[in-house]
Amino acid sequence: MSGIAGHGEFFQPTNLSAADAEKATAWVKKRVDRRELDLGERMEDVREHMWQLEKEGEIIVHRVSDAHKPAMVKTLFGWDKKIPTMQLWHHKSCGQCGNIPGYPTSLLWTMNQLGMQPGRDYLDETDQTSCTAWNYHGSGIGNVESLAAVFLRNFHQAYVSGKRLGHEPGHFFPLVHCGTSFGNYKEVRKYLVENAALRERVKKILGKLGRLVDGKIVIPEEIVHYSEWVHVMRNRIASELQKIDVSHLRTTVHMACHYSKMVHEDAIYDPEVLGGNRAAVGTSMAQALGAQVIDYSTWYDCCGFGFRHIISEREFTRSFTIERKIKVAAEEAKADVMLGIDTGCVTTMDKNQWIGRAHEKQVTMPIMADIQFAALACGADPFKIVQLQWHASPCEDVVEKMGLSWGDSKKKFEAYLEEVKAGKIEYLYNPELALSV
Amino acid sequence: MATYAEMQEIFEDIKKDFRYEHELNGCLNCGICTATCPSAHFYDYSPREIVQLLWTENVEQVYDAMQEKIWACAQCMTCAARCPFKNSPGGLVAIMREVAIGHGLQSAKDVLRPFGRVMLKLITTGNQLSPDMIQPDHFPDWGPNIQKVDGDLKTLRKAIPMKTLQTTDTAWEVALKTSVEMYTIWEMTGVLKQLETMDENLFDVIEDFIEEKREEYEELLEEQEEAK
Amino acid sequence: MNDAILVVGAGPTGLSAAHGIASVGRKVVLVEKEDRLGGAPILSGYAKLVPSGEWAKDAIGRMIERVEKNDLIKVSKGTKVTGLEGEHGNFTATLSNGETVKAAAVVLGTGFTHFDSINKPEWGFGTFEDVVTTTQVEQMVAAGKIACPSDGRAPERVAILLCVGSRDRQIGREWCSKICCTVSTNLAMEIKELSPETDVYIYYMDIRTFGLYEDKFYWKSQEEFGTKFVKARIAEVTIAPDGKRLLVKGEDTLVKRPIVIPFDLVVHAIGMDPNEDNPEIAKVFGIGLEHHGFVERGEHYTSSFASTRPGIYVGGSALGPEDIDTCVSHGLAMAMRAVGDLEARARKAA
Repeated sequence: MSGIAGHGEFFQPTNLSAADAEKATAWVKKRVDRRELDLGERMEDVREHMWQLEKEGEIIVHRVSDAHKPAMVKTLFGWDKKIPTMQLWHHKSCGQCGNIPGYPTSLLWTMNQLGMQPGRDYLDETDQTSCTAWNYHGSGIGNVESLAAVFLRNFHQAYVSGKRLGHEPGHFFPLVHCGTSFGNYKEVRKYLVENAALRERVKKILGKLGRLVDGKIVIPEEIVHYSEWVHVMRNRIASELQKIDVSHLRTTVHMACHYSKMVHEDAIYDPEVLGGNRAAVGTSMAQALGAQVIDYSTWYDCCGFGFRHIISEREFTRSFTIERKIKVAAEEAKADVMLGIDTGCVTTMDKNQWIGRAHEKQVTMPIMADIQFAALACGADPFKIVQLQWHASPCEDVVEKMGLSWGDSKKKFEAYLEEVKAGKIEYLYNPELALSV
Repeated sequence: MATYAEMQEIFEDIKKDFRYEHELNGCLNCGICTATCPSAHFYDYSPREIVQLLWTENVEQVYDAMQEKIWACAQCMTCAARCPFKNSPGGLVAIMREVAIGHGLQSAKDVLRPFGRVMLKLITTGNQLSPDMIQPDHFPDWGPNIQKVDGDLKTLRKAIPMKTLQTTDTAWEVALKTSVEMYTIWEMTGVLKQLETMDENLFDVIEDFIEEKREEYEELLEEQEEAK
Repeated sequence: MNDAILVVGAGPTGLSAAHGIASVGRKVVLVEKEDRLGGAPILSGYAKLVPSGEWAKDAIGRMIERVEKNDLIKVSKGTKVTGLEGEHGNFTATLSNGETVKAAAVVLGTGFTHFDSINKPEWGFGTFEDVVTTTQVEQMVAAGKIACPSDGRAPERVAILLCVGSRDRQIGREWCSKICCTVSTNLAMEIKELSPETDVYIYYMDIRTFGLYEDKFYWKSQEEFGTKFVKARIAEVTIAPDGKRLLVKGEDTLVKRPIVIPFDLVVHAIGMDPNEDNPEIAKVFGIGLEHHGFVERGEHYTSSFASTRPGIYVGGSALGPEDIDTCVSHGLAMAMRAVGDLEARARKAA
């Protein structure tokens, strides 16, 4: 950390030897930070209450076990978090699946490339509802109870999902694809753990659905976001799968608000990524691939998605995202691509560029998810896998800069479409696995 | 125009929410929430103002704020992450929105009308946005480039190598049983009631849809029984 | 009966206590964990102290000299207390250098630890070179030059952020560090004096230049030095589009408008954390800590500066954030308490 904050030769000692002067500021370097300091009762970890509730027979905790091959990470206050890497239940994102299908496809493709077996090491099925939080945050229709009931319903399904394939309960651990789902579920888990009355009301509903285990609700040990899986797998992805050199590419990373600011104590902070000063996900994958990650003045800003605004108050969303994100990435950071880690952000930034010309603010910037960028660098087909044909922003530019031919890939895909029409469809996993009921 | 008593009742409903106590501890008026708020940069909106009005129990101005201001919030929760008191202005706004809807405020109905499409999709299918909604005529301001390969939507979706995504009217294929479970949740948690207050026509459409699906599910169960 | 009184910590509190005890003719063993005396003002290189305006090395230096010249005070530097047995009137302390000390009473002036701004990463410390702390600005003042660490240029605009590590539930520090407002306004004046072209902005939630410091620091820094005060708690510090300066983002609450302003230098007015050694200190001395992590104090009206263990007194910033002048007073008060209690016991026994 030389040169940072007061250690250059510029600081002249007054009657102090170099050693003494160094000592005067040595405490600065000591990193007596929250990762080491015991905050005692001053900071509460909801997971401690959760375990207590299980002890009291109130709930069942869906554990991250050794079978899930967890990797350990640290969160904002230096607490431990287990990130399962195997046997995952894909909790899909409706915005991704509807709008940006290449997002989940790239993730599953990467898992396949790493040798994970569908049906054993991951499951994607139809018995899954959206978390409903987009609607809630956008319209206010819904309430804590409905959010909690949906949370428990989905996570119960994750818990029992392996049964039809001959696995034990808890075999598949839920991996949450969407940042808003992630933030929402973190909040809801907190409410459920802290509020007995809420638990009682929701238990009745879950009971009616036949989704209790031994009469109890199932709460997962950790709420895990897909970008956290990508973070712990980044070195394997880079070393085992990467085929394209991206060191010449300037990337900027947009940090999702609902990942890092909602229940912000449960987000990954890694001393090796940005000095542990900012949430690690997204950036860590780009850096592991060798891409340049450029800082910019509005790093902490929201993208302007707004939940409701992107549908029905679009001037806000488009103004905000163009002024505070697209323009900055393009003109200040001179980036080749802006990477997101969440559905809403990628949608907002990708779809709200063309309209800029109506306000004489014509700036463009290729937008994609961290995992889409990684998949491209690992040789995934830009159309068949990364599905970039759905991106309104000029992703073809990034593809070309990576040395691939957009035109050739497109032709190949168009040929594949003919196959599809004839019923010859390629799948990442046996389609029968998807049908839960 | 509501009477003072009505405004008082609305305010009490906000305070009654169990989250209120956790999300409003007091206010140092430091402005850090408004500093980070994306909506504060574009609207005449300030989370600090909302908190001040609630904390000082300014019943009338709270009612005023519930007409338009609370709908400016982008629900990003940056305010909650920064507040030195650990308040959550965004969370308080969410409570206020629920209460506005519960009281059938006309302003809430007006604001939410354009959101109806999404709500319909959500309540009936459990997904919030579907491929067939992302069409140039629905979102003309997203430009003509939202689909860079020519072809019909159905084929293009079948060209996604995940079985669950090969749908056009939902984001992913949802099992019938799953949808029916959702309806039970909407019913038992009062969400359908909320919808009825908000938009009777939309509610009628949804009710019919739910009934239809439930019947379908009953038939499916019968078939499965017979097959055994 | 003739046992020495053990004083732990040779900052302003301990130095004052040691002198106070010696001044009534009793022996003192003064133990200091660092290799030199003086505490934070010396170790962290403070410049001019508030409110006196005297250089720390002179003011505290005088206190050090007085103690070192006193035959009744035995000084052990680079030494910690590793164990304490016995009871009031009859303690035996083990030191890290192997020695044992028989002490009739113990006075703790163990002090505090500066808040490490690493714990508020969104305010840029550790990411940007030009984000520094007030202690580092003290060193700039001592060196006679205000400059940006990144390229040595004189800053056109300096922002001082108050309450860094204080009054903040997000990081479990729900106290006020008492003296940083005064120190910050003082530094604003020092900066202006050394660098007249520099403008200083102070971003605050409240200004707590208490007592007679009000006009001496808060008013004077405005009237005579043009310091500008903005009631805004800064949300984040990021790199400005010019790649050189830093952007500070807040809401000017009095004008009710969000602001994003570039600065050349950003200063964190860091707070006073409980001494990082407090868990160890609590264990070694068998005393309690209060819920913020500082040392617990007994009832103050008739048992001032008592810890939770009879015969052990605690004062100064070990109890909570404290200014130097008050620490000096605490030291003398503890001397009075320690000696007074022992004499009372002696009279009783007689």
